[in-house]
Amino acid sequence: MAKTEIRVGGLGGQGVILCGYIIGRAAAIFSGKHATLIQAFGPEARGSACSAQVTVDDEPIGYPYVTHPDILIVMSQDAYVQFAPQLKPGGMLLYEDELITPDDKLPAGVKALGIPATRFAEEIGRRLVLNIVMVGFFAGSTGLLEFGAVERAVRDSVPKGTEDLNLRALRKGHEYGLEVAAVKT
Amino acid sequence: MRLEGFPREATLRDGRTVKLRPIQPDDETTLGEFYRDLPEEDRLFLREDVRRPGWAEEFIHTVDFDSIISLVAESQEKIVGNATLYRSRHGWSAHVAELRIAVARQFQRHGLGTALASLLVRHAIALGLEKIVAHVVDNQVGAKRAFEKLGFRQDAVLPGHVKDIRGVTRDLVVMSNDVSHLWEAMAALVSDYSPTMGE
Repeated sequence: MAKTEIRVGGLGGQGVILCGYIIGRAAAIFSGKHATLIQAFGPEARGSACSAQVTVDDEPIGYPYVTHPDILIVMSQDAYVQFAPQLKPGGMLLYEDELITPDDKLPAGVKALGIPATRFAEEIGRRLVLNIVMVGFFAGSTGLLEFGAVERAVRDSVPKGTEDLNLRALRKGHEYGLEVAAVKT
Repeated sequence: MRLEGFPREATLRDGRTVKLRPIQPDDETTLGEFYRDLPEEDRLFLREDVRRPGWAEEFIHTVDFDSIISLVAESQEKIVGNATLYRSRHGWSAHVAELRIAVARQFQRHGLGTALASLLVRHAIALGLEKIVAHVVDNQVGAKRAFEKLGFRQDAVLPGHVKDIRGVTRDLVVMSNDVSHLWEAMAALVSDYSPTMGE
């Protein structure tokens, strides 16, 4: 695997950091790769801008900061406006499509895939698993990590007792990601 | 939501095994037999007249595995236990579900009710519910203990709310299992403020 730089952006309270953490954990702990995570949040947690930078590579990572991500996962319009212009040309944008309206300012060749993750999370039973739906969407649409590794990372990262609901959220996002990626290919 | 991981086997405390699975349309006859065979003193505590012809068929038709989720325990092709979770999809108690359980006399006190309840409690959590409620009569000591083992606590007592087979007035105990702390823990995890996460 070539070095892959990922940025996750959204609002505090959407589980942005956990989303990045699970991707990094799936890569480093359950896929035998190297991964780094950098997290940034505003002075107030809930509702403020928040982002995570994840780098995944087969080789040790010397520089963990993500300036031009290969993959951008966004869950708020503000995060989209702030980070979408930084995407690498030919990169991938994964966005919550009931919260974000993409514009025509994306770098050339960017593949943009949307998912109604909030609605899916509500249908599953808890809005707060929106981020786990996004993790599943990431896994299904990019194919960057084995689904089993991501599943184990989710199981290991969420509070005991909530695993079943979180794994349903993950599977929902994953299935949707596979479908959408197949249509857009 | 489809129930996953069924059918499954449960070994009771006396070594007997039973099959646990979601209720299905062709259970109508055996479910009716199960409820009709319950001793009258057990049937008295049920909310519906389960001996009424057509009751089992009507009940099975109400089970949609969304707002009404029902499991049965099967032994030698007979139903020996039934547990059902009821929840409202709308309104101010949409976060609450009610659990009702009935177990054949010869299978009581062997862990079957606990096994059924445990599966439905887990399922309720997987649905994102915050509170599961069960009603027991004050002298149903075994049932109370079984619920307590599953995390239920006494929420309220309704004095003189039921009458048993001898006409003795008894208290109805409302027990609940508050699992909202699980979702509070999840909310804390997605709050995006912990500077130590990932260390």
